[in-house]
Amino acid sequence: MSTNGMTTHGRKDSANDLEERFGDPYDEANPFGHAAIVAADERAELPDGAEAVLDEVGLNAEFVPERLGGRLTEVDALVRRLRPVFRRDAALGLGYGVTSFMAGLNVWLGGSDVQRKWLADALLGNGKVSVGYHELGRGNDLTGNEFSANRTGDSLILNGRKEVINNAGRAVAAVLFARTDTRGGGRDHSLLLVDLTRLDQERFRRLPRYRTLGLRGCALAGFEFDGCAVPDSALVGEVGAGPDLALRSFQVSRAVMAGAGLGILDAGLFGVLRFALDRRLYGRTVAELPHARSTLAGAYADLLTADAMVTAVTRALHVLPASASACAAAAKYLVPLLLEDAMNALSVILGARFYLREGEYAGFGKHMRDLPPLGIGHAGGVSCQLTILPQLPRLLRGTGDAAPAAVFDTAAPLPELDLAKLRLFAPAGDPLLAVLRDDGTPPAIAAELAALTDAAAAMSPRETGVAAGPAALALTERYALLLAAAAVLGQARHGDAPEGWAELALDRLAERLRPSAALPVFRPDAEEALFGDLVDRAASGVGFCLDRDLVHRSLAP
Amino acid sequence: MPTPGTSTDAATIAPIPADLAEWLAGRVAAYLDTTADAIDRDLPLAEYGLDSVYALSLCGDIEDTLTLVVEPTLAWDYPTVNAMAAYLRAEIERPAAT
Amino acid sequence: MRYSAFADAERLERALGDPGDPAAVFSYARCADLDDADEFPAEICRALDEFGLARHYVPVEFGGGLADYQDCLQTMRMVARRDVTVAVAHGKTYLGAVSVWVGGTRAQAERVGALVGAGVPVSWALTERAHGSDLLAGEVTATPEAGGYLLDGEKWLINNATRGAALCVLARTSAGGGPRGFGVFFVEKSALATESYRHLPKQRTHGIRGADISGVAFDGALLGPGDLIGGPGAGLESVLKGLQLTRTLCCALSLGASDHALGVATRFALGRELYGRGLADLPAARRVLATAFADHLLAEAVSVVSARSVQTLTGEMSVLAAAAKYLVPTRTEAMIARLRRLVGARSLLRDAHEHGAFGKVERDHRIVSLFDGNTLVNLNSLVNLFPILVRTADKGVEPDAEGVRAAATVSLPLAPARHERLSLLPRRGSSFLLGLPAAVAEIEALAAHDDRLAPLAASARTLLSTLDDLYAVIRAQPSVPVAVPTSSFVLAGKLAACLGAAEVVQLWLRNRDAAASGPNAALWRNGVWPTLALDRLLAAVGVSAPAPDSMYETAFAVLREQVGAGLLPSLFDVRLAEAGL
Repeated sequence: MSTNGMTTHGRKDSANDLEERFGDPYDEANPFGHAAIVAADERAELPDGAEAVLDEVGLNAEFVPERLGGRLTEVDALVRRLRPVFRRDAALGLGYGVTSFMAGLNVWLGGSDVQRKWLADALLGNGKVSVGYHELGRGNDLTGNEFSANRTGDSLILNGRKEVINNAGRAVAAVLFARTDTRGGGRDHSLLLVDLTRLDQERFRRLPRYRTLGLRGCALAGFEFDGCAVPDSALVGEVGAGPDLALRSFQVSRAVMAGAGLGILDAGLFGVLRFALDRRLYGRTVAELPHARSTLAGAYADLLTADAMVTAVTRALHVLPASASACAAAAKYLVPLLLEDAMNALSVILGARFYLREGEYAGFGKHMRDLPPLGIGHAGGVSCQLTILPQLPRLLRGTGDAAPAAVFDTAAPLPELDLAKLRLFAPAGDPLLAVLRDDGTPPAIAAELAALTDAAAAMSPRETGVAAGPAALALTERYALLLAAAAVLGQARHGDAPEGWAELALDRLAERLRPSAALPVFRPDAEEALFGDLVDRAASGVGFCLDRDLVHRSLAP
Repeated sequence: MPTPGTSTDAATIAPIPADLAEWLAGRVAAYLDTTADAIDRDLPLAEYGLDSVYALSLCGDIEDTLTLVVEPTLAWDYPTVNAMAAYLRAEIERPAAT
Repeated sequence: MRYSAFADAERLERALGDPGDPAAVFSYARCADLDDADEFPAEICRALDEFGLARHYVPVEFGGGLADYQDCLQTMRMVARRDVTVAVAHGKTYLGAVSVWVGGTRAQAERVGALVGAGVPVSWALTERAHGSDLLAGEVTATPEAGGYLLDGEKWLINNATRGAALCVLARTSAGGGPRGFGVFFVEKSALATESYRHLPKQRTHGIRGADISGVAFDGALLGPGDLIGGPGAGLESVLKGLQLTRTLCCALSLGASDHALGVATRFALGRELYGRGLADLPAARRVLATAFADHLLAEAVSVVSARSVQTLTGEMSVLAAAAKYLVPTRTEAMIARLRRLVGARSLLRDAHEHGAFGKVERDHRIVSLFDGNTLVNLNSLVNLFPILVRTADKGVEPDAEGVRAAATVSLPLAPARHERLSLLPRRGSSFLLGLPAAVAEIEALAAHDDRLAPLAASARTLLSTLDDLYAVIRAQPSVPVAVPTSSFVLAGKLAACLGAAEVVQLWLRNRDAAASGPNAALWRNGVWPTLALDRLLAAVGVSAPAPDSMYETAFAVLREQVGAGLLPSLFDVRLAEAGL
């Protein structure tokens, strides 16, 4: 049971400090309320003063390992501490600097002591660090990257562009993925940590900001290098280590970015519940209409499912680092889909108001718009599927030990995060899936696991790369859904989830795996229990995620 | 306007109920998932929360049981059980149009 | 195959020119700029006025050019494929006037017909701030006064409330309300005392940003006796009947958005290189596009058949319109979302790919499932029809086979719609559903002589048994009309998918010979498109009926060809301005 730090109703920690500073989003006079955030979004800016608040609480310290002076210890705790920011404004979360965290990971993993210290200091001084993996013309295909670094003496000469880069206009430093060889294969690219303040301004240019259709407050721009020299010491790790470092860092950043979206659904769910309790339709409140109730309960169940998956995967980075590659990719693939579907279903309850950029519920439409692009520029769904695909036969082979309770129980102590233990290819037998090899697993889920095991065993090696057919790729989605089911079961056994959730959540996952021809299973009792819990939490200032964090937001008077 | 219908298949048609109001109250009660005696026959159906479009379904019951073709909006124009029954009685007893 | 209903659509394309040319009045670039500025597309609407688009809004019997609803649907689709905002802004006049076509006297209809023909924008004022889709809770009142009426109260979130020179207003005519307690009034602003009404500010919206979504408040606005459309209690009935027409025509907006999104995504995939090869060469990416195309074609089929049914199965539009208005917009939303994931980062950027068209079309299209009765309202309409649909199926009521045949045979000219035949209830059930067993038997007979039709025959058999199973579940549902349970909404969605599939089957059967040669024949031969459509629709029911991979490949090849040649992504052969006309 995760009872540590619990008040009567909810958990209080440093994230709650941020919640308090941000105040009630439904207070129209609040400078960090929805009204102000939507107004800032109209101007394509972050809300006035919001970054100063994050500077004050030293949010960047969350991105820096403890031994380098920061507060980064447990990755699941990081996700929870970021939640108040994303719950408020996804553009603020990304714009302030989750990309700084992505950049930092490569350096914590592969950098020299000097680089680590330098970057830690830059971040702890509230500096922004950009991360430049991608080029617009190449999408998620890192190996097609053309930005190059050529060694000349003790310098590297940089040529080319990095596009759609967060904070490129103001970052003090950047971690850049560069071509250093043309032999072909996996050793052609390297990572560089570049001090942007000390470049030859004749040969380095920050590109103009892009106009964006979502996350409008984020300043996405780019860099252009034209024969610009940086010292050899800018290399992070060995020459040619770029893909290896990046793919291992991705495991952490994918898990964290999957978790970033939880705050958005949490806020959206509250907004629609607030509307439903207040609005009258056909002689009763919307919340009394059975369809609205089950939509709200369903969205809540899916939010907790997503949280269970994020929690298991972020904790697996510590407990089962060798096996984290596929499950982190699975979370980054599935969680955004779960969240997007839930927001879509909720928007139907909100009706025309979700379409308005003004009024009490304008924040919902903005959140809904900002959710899908949250993963853009990082790792798209297909690249996550391609991470899983070649590992699938191994993951489904063998009957290894099931993941221990510490993967699910947030009160259990975690071993220190050791990025060096992350592997690009997991060993045989996925420990999270092994949780499902248990009598308590619902038969529908157990049958799907058996079917996937057979399908993975029959996979042709030709079907494991980018040329994989749609049927092979579809297997990765089934793997992700089964992992989510394992996370739900693990949470039900070792966590502190609301009554009715686990059975509802497993039904909903089973329905995604194999839709019912006639009617899906309905569990009115579980739904009502969950709906009741949702209303209780909303009324008592408790958030909707597993950790029951305290929140400041008011229901309609 | 309603016109007397013709039986499509006399063998499957039940006899016309003697007490139309009782029969209608039973049909309304079935839609409302309650019993006929719980229906106040002088209260507009809308008071029971019966959706105005769903109420149109009654015309199908009437067509089936009474072999009488009525406007779907019957329940709008005669919004209580008694009003509807009186109207239907008059229609049934009206000599067939030529 | 060619379909004559596209004649005016192609004429409009010629008149408007290539939307990719920034110099054109109605260009993608211009629309993107207007969207940035939340600005009404006034100049573009004027160009559509000059073209005479409004003649499609007035039935021929009232002096207009609306003889075939399909012409109207496909022409509006051409507007929507350039910009949904413009289609919403201009097409609103049809919605504004429809109550008059359905419920007005000839004199009233001719009066409104003359106004609409002259380019006067008309708006439809149904909803109110506190009541949304609950029309019977409306508080705007019309009180008898001096032989006419006094109108009081506020209508909100009304498209063109401010720019419309006239509005059809739903107002309470008896204090008690109820289904006979509302009337529809035709209000010409120029006839009102200026102090008796005012406009409410335009609301900023996430999509269709330039549209005039505003409101109007009346304060003792004096209307003449001739301004009441139909009787004082006929308002709800005429609105519900009007909605049967407008919900059907709403499909034009989804099809246009889908035409646009599919074009943008296909051009993106054909032009992009990843992992050393074209994106369109990756099997998984190709399948995303082919699946989207299958969804697009089935949406087109449902739209075409539903719109033709206005004229041949007029009394069944309550079920056909609700099913189409549910299926087409929601499926198009999901399809655009899948294409967005394929397009990736470019969908976020305003200036990177075709003026940020992808992000814009997704935002704009979301309005379609909201207005004119949202998803839940349409599903609820179907739930209300469960008793009659099940009863007619159980009794084995004969379908109107002639009506179905005429609706599905696109080469048949149709007589103009008889609006007085619109009915709130499909008395004889749904002929498409009732006629499904015969249609499936017909396919099986064809497949008996042609192995290549085996996949279609198998899917059609699955469809038939799925429908039977669905009826059984619906029969077992308690009838609880007061608070519709979630399970009923789920069943209504599945029933809509089966109805759509029945329309697909008929459209293929009635036109397969005519379509067997010429462009797009590959879609029609061997039942390729209906097999794909049944795969998609049955999947929505939760039933597996996978079409062979080769059929998806065939569909992708046609899509590539159509988009590459500047043709409309379609079952039919339609030239767009991009093709050079």
